[in-house]
Order: sequence, then C-alpha cells, then structure tokens
Amino acid sequence: MEILLDNIGKILEGFQVTLILFAGGTVLALVVGTVLASMRVSPVPPLRLVGATYVNVVRNTPLVLIFIIVVFALPELGIQFSFRLFAILAVGAYTAAFVTEALRSGVNTVQAGQAEAARALGMTFGQTLSHVIMPQAARSVIPPMGSILIALLKNTSVAAGFGVIEATGTLRELGRDFPQALYWLFFGIALGYVVLVLLVSAVFRQLERRLVVVR
Amino acid sequence: MEGAQAQQGDPAASGAGRPLVVLDKVNKHFGDLHVLRDVDLTVHAGEVVVVLGPSGSGKSTLCRTINRLESIDSGTITLDGQPLAAEGKALARLRSEVGMVFQAFNLFAHKTVLENVTLGPIKVRGLDKAAAVKRGRELLDRVGIGEQADKLPAQLSGGQQQRVAIARALAMDPKVILFDEPTSALDPEMINEVLEVMIQLARDGMTMVVITHEMGFARRAANRVVFMDLGEIVEQADPETFFSSPQSERGKDFLSKILSH
Amino acid sequence: MSARRLRGLGAAAALALALTACGGGDDAATEVVTDAKFPAGSSMAKFNEAGTIKIGTKFDQPGIGAKKPGADAPEGFDPEMAKIVAAKLGIEPDKIKWVETVSDNREPFLQNGTVDLVFASYSITDERRQVVGQAGPYYVTGQQLLVAKDDDSIKGPDDLEGKKVCSVEGSTSIKTVEEEYGANPAPFATYSECVQQLLSGSVDAVTTDGAILLGYTAENPDKLKVVGDAFSEERYGIGFKKDDTKLCNFLNETLEASFEDGSWQEAFDQTLGEAGVEAPEAPTVDPCE
Repeated sequence: MEILLDNIGKILEGFQVTLILFAGGTVLALVVGTVLASMRVSPVPPLRLVGATYVNVVRNTPLVLIFIIVVFALPELGIQFSFRLFAILAVGAYTAAFVTEALRSGVNTVQAGQAEAARALGMTFGQTLSHVIMPQAARSVIPPMGSILIALLKNTSVAAGFGVIEATGTLRELGRDFPQALYWLFFGIALGYVVLVLLVSAVFRQLERRLVVVR
Repeated sequence: MEGAQAQQGDPAASGAGRPLVVLDKVNKHFGDLHVLRDVDLTVHAGEVVVVLGPSGSGKSTLCRTINRLESIDSGTITLDGQPLAAEGKALARLRSEVGMVFQAFNLFAHKTVLENVTLGPIKVRGLDKAAAVKRGRELLDRVGIGEQADKLPAQLSGGQQQRVAIARALAMDPKVILFDEPTSALDPEMINEVLEVMIQLARDGMTMVVITHEMGFARRAANRVVFMDLGEIVEQADPETFFSSPQSERGKDFLSKILSH
Repeated sequence: MSARRLRGLGAAAALALALTACGGGDDAATEVVTDAKFPAGSSMAKFNEAGTIKIGTKFDQPGIGAKKPGADAPEGFDPEMAKIVAAKLGIEPDKIKWVETVSDNREPFLQNGTVDLVFASYSITDERRQVVGQAGPYYVTGQQLLVAKDDDSIKGPDDLEGKKVCSVEGSTSIKTVEEEYGANPAPFATYSECVQQLLSGSVDAVTTDGAILLGYTAENPDKLKVVGDAFSEERYGIGFKKDDTKLCNFLNETLEASFEDGSWQEAFDQTLGEAGVEAPEAPTVDPCE
C-alpha cells in the first residue's frame, strides 16, 4: 500500500501520458471516423469502397499489429515522429474504424425522408450530412460511442510496449523496482483505469441525457 | 428573377405562362415494374396541375422524378429550359428552384420550426441569418404558425407541421412547388387547414403540381387535371370537364369509385 | 557439424548457426547423474523423484536464451546452465519443461509454482531477493550501449542526456540510463524490436548487457557498434522459491562444480562465445542467507 503512496507522483505522471494518448486518439478517431462514415454513406461508389475497405481491414487487425505497422513501417518510409505521436496515430486509426461503423448505423436510424427533404431544398450531399443527418445520428450513436472510447482508453496501454511510458508502462517500471509489491501495484493502476473509465462513462451519460430530451 | 415575375402574372390564365416543367417520353422501372410509361407532361408558369389516379398509378413517382429524388431510365425532364443533371452541385442548384412538400412532412426533427424554414435560405442561398429569420417569420405568419416558431416539429399537430413544410418550401422562392399527397397522412379535421393554405398559394399565382385525392381541392384550385393509371397519362382536361364527362373508360371507372363514397 | 565448417564466413553466420548447433542437449558436459541422493523432503529429492523440472527462461534473446519457431527447446547460455543443474538432479535434458518467462512475470511464476527455477538473464538485486531466492551469480556482465555505426555523438553513458534510449520494458538497464544519465527511456517488448528502432533511426541507442548487444553487432556489423565500457554490473543468478536454503546451497555447489570441471566454460563457448563475446572469469557465488 505505501508503495502506491510513495510513488503516487510517478503513477500520476503515467496516467497523464495515458490521458494524452486518450485525448489525441479520441480527436483523431472522431475526425477520421466521421470522414470515413461520410464516405460509407455517400452516393459515390469508389468512396463507399474506400470506407468499407478501411473498416474491414482495420477492424479485423489486432491493435498490436497496427502498432507494429505504425512504429516500425513508417520510419522505414522516412516518416519519423515521437513515440507518443505514433501511439496516438495507432490507437486513433484503429478506433476510427469502430467510430465509422457506429456513425453509419446511427445514420441508418435517421428516416430517409429527412435526407430527401434536405436534398429537395437543394442541399449538397455534404450539407445534408452535416446539417441534417449527422446531428440526428449523433443521438443514437452516443451509447456505442461511449463504449468505443472506453475501449480506446484501455487500448492506450498497448503503447507501453512501443516506446511510451504511460500508466501500464509505469506499472512495469514499478514492478521491476518493487517486485514485493507487484499485486498492490496491479491493484493501484487498475483502480486508476477504473476511475478514468467511470469519468468517461459519466460524461457520456450526461450527453445522452441532454440529447434525449430533444427527440 | 424572371420566373418569380411570371408567377405574379394573371393567375387564372391556364397555360398562359412559359413552359416551366417539361417531361418528354419519361420511362421508369422498379425492377420488373414499369412505373412510368412514355410520360409527356408540360406544366406552365402559374399553372396548378392536379394529378389524380388510383394508388400504384405512378403519380407519386412522377412527382418525385421532377426534382430527381427518383432517377429515370429514359426520356428527358427540363426545368425552366434546363435539363436535370446527374447527382451533384448542378442538380442541387436546380432542386433549390423546386419546392417539395411530402406526405410525411419530413420536417427536420432536431431543428425548431423557424430553423426548418431558414436552413435552406441560409445554407443553400447564402442569405444572412437576420434576413432569413425575418423572411421565415413572415412566411410562418402567412401559413398561420407564427406563434409556434420556436417549438420543435414533434410538438406540433400534423396539420401545423404540414403548414411549416409549405413555409419551408416557400422560403426558397421556388419556381414551382411539388405536393406529394400533402394531406394523406393527416387526421380529417386537419386536412382543411392545409388545403386552405394551398388554395391561397394557387390564388397568388404559384406554379404547383399536386398529387392528391382531394377532389374538392382539384375543383377549386386546379387549372388542369391529369389522370394517370398504370404508369401512363390516360387523359388530361380542365377540372370541370374531367369530373363531369371523363373521356376514358378508366377515368370513368376511377371517378365512380371515388365519388360513390 | 555444419557450424564448424562455416565458421570462417563471419561472426553473423557463426552466431546463427551456433545457436542451432548447441540445441541438441547431448553435450558431454551435461552428463546426467543417475544415482543422485538428496535429503528426504528436500526440493532436490522432489525434482529427482518427479524426473522432470519446470525451467523459466527467455525465448527471445540470441545467445542468452532464444527459441526458434518450431523448435522444442530454447537455445543459449541460460538453457545450457539449466541443463547442467538438471543433470545434477538426475533429470534428462529432454525431460525439462521449458516455460517462457519475461521480465515482468519471473517473480509471480516462481511464487505460484508455474516454474521451479528461473534462468533468464535474471540480474540479482536486493529488491528481488526480498520476494524470491537468487543463487549464484553464474555470469557477470555489464550494461553497454549499442549505437549506429556512424554516430559519433554517443561515446559512453555520459552522452545520453536527452537521448532516446531503447531497452526492454521493466528491465534494470532502462532504469539506469534514465535515472543516472538522464536519457529518455523508450521501452519495447524485446531487444530485437529495440534494434529495429535503432536501425530505423527512431531511437539513438539501445542499452542492455554487453553480451546481448554484441550478438546484434555480429548480425549487423556495417550498421551497429557497441560503445563505452560497461557502466553497471549485472550478475545473473538462478531464481528459486524464497527461503529454500537447501536448494540454494545445492545450486551454488552445482555452479561451483561447473566452474571447476569446465562444463560452465563449455556452455559459454558454445553459446555467447560463438558470438564473439570474450570468455569471462568464473564469478564467485554469493553465500546463501
């Protein structure tokens, strides 16, 4: 127990890095996921194909493999970033596939008449999507999106094997220095993740409540 | 805009305006079903055309092809001289000139009544917000829903929602408005409030294509009645002539079924 | 043996083939004692009667302990030492049950009985000795630095301030360069991944025990070099369940005997020695308790 308190600074530092990866990964996943979802519902077949291919390839690839591709292959192509940025790229690109599918299923819950009315007004595909479809899809997307982002939060721990010392990496370091307290350390770090997950869940419960009233 | 001026012309003059919507040899299939067969139809500026026909006659499809919510297999459709383009910016521009009122209203569920009316002018026409809001409130007043401007569509009755939908179409200053069975989803007591608005529009000289089962509206407001059956236009005439002495057997049959109850 | 014929082709080939060559387990040094007698109730008696033993070792460190895809048993200095100990217990090499241990799980595996002994480049530290027993050392090496051949900016640990240094997560090497020399640690799962990162320029150096690093320079003599003197002392010990003093004494005696009779030397020559690592002097084992 005192091991946790004695090293609280180091543990918090680790979780700070975890949060950076989470925030960066979330932004990337939402942006890329929205673009890909737009492609998947677009009237242009090649765009639909690109969106569907990305989702099918990335969603069926283990996250560790994506990390390996990003961290080992990009430098071979002369693309050199910090390990943190690589980690954000990997978890973001991975999660984007799940965001895409959640958004697409959300779009499908919006009645076809909504899009027809927008098109009849002369709105382009992009305007229809951004002003009419996506805002309505967002509501039904909130619950699955919460689960996806919670998974992202936990998935950042894979970065511990790829040059980044975040919460899980900190656990490894502390486990090396204090092997006698290994189980306390597991417990403490797990507790940290639980707290973060609860925070994310709370945010999404709040979002859900606020948006549900509108319906 | 020339079109807008034409609408201000003599409302009673049937066929007096220039040809605004022209369908030439239009064919459309849904799988094996031939829903439009060599349809020729010309709607002139300022004209109110009511399309009648039994269900499954293709009249709704006809209406939806005019702004290309349904694509066609062959033939041509021109709007004010311009052929309908394939999906894209050009088509969007043409669509903005054609208002549409749906059977199911299709108001934007997440936007207030006023926002429903101003969204098109702001996003499509690039009108500034203040001007769009001013015009939107005028139009809502005109259809009698000025009080409800800040409510969400779901908080309104069906009749009120359909009137908002008409205001939304008017906000774009369209050259023509298509009505796809505008009263079919309404409770009987709400039908009249919508028809009144439509009759007023017709009197003001708006070019209208109306798919409906409301014979009263056809009698009072239409310049011309088009009767469709099995995907083709069987006959067309002024309402008086059609209702009193239809030329075709199918027309007679249809009227006898409608008027008997 | 093919390794003998091809030795002239260079260190890289020699390393790879040496690792293949020493996997047989029928070496003279590991002559199995058939009439071993141990005090009743001791761990040694238990292993002897069972005729098998669970050994935790690394599966991914060339020269130290590496298991090739499809191979039955790991190869390297650690497995060879384990065979010597097993032989003294009357256990045939092919009766040994090999379990992969990584830096993280060595203590838990010893505590819960997943493994009986650990031979896994397991540095002896005071912290570890609070939770597990560590006999030996049987090998003393030191931490060094692996850098790109054309990199002149790093000549020793004092040049590491602010540099990205890769090592295996949870290793002591990474702690040393971070805490004592101000390097930015970049932990990866394996040393081969670290070397990849160094080759692609993502990190500035790789650090761990010199013996391991030399194995990699042998594979990439044109691109990599080991620099500086050893700046830490790593003493590899045999991990066992804490407070088993009899077992500790047995392990120490076995190690000392292997230093004496040349079997330790032979185990080294066949593995790390093949990769060009200089033969060390036999270390002195720590007394038990």
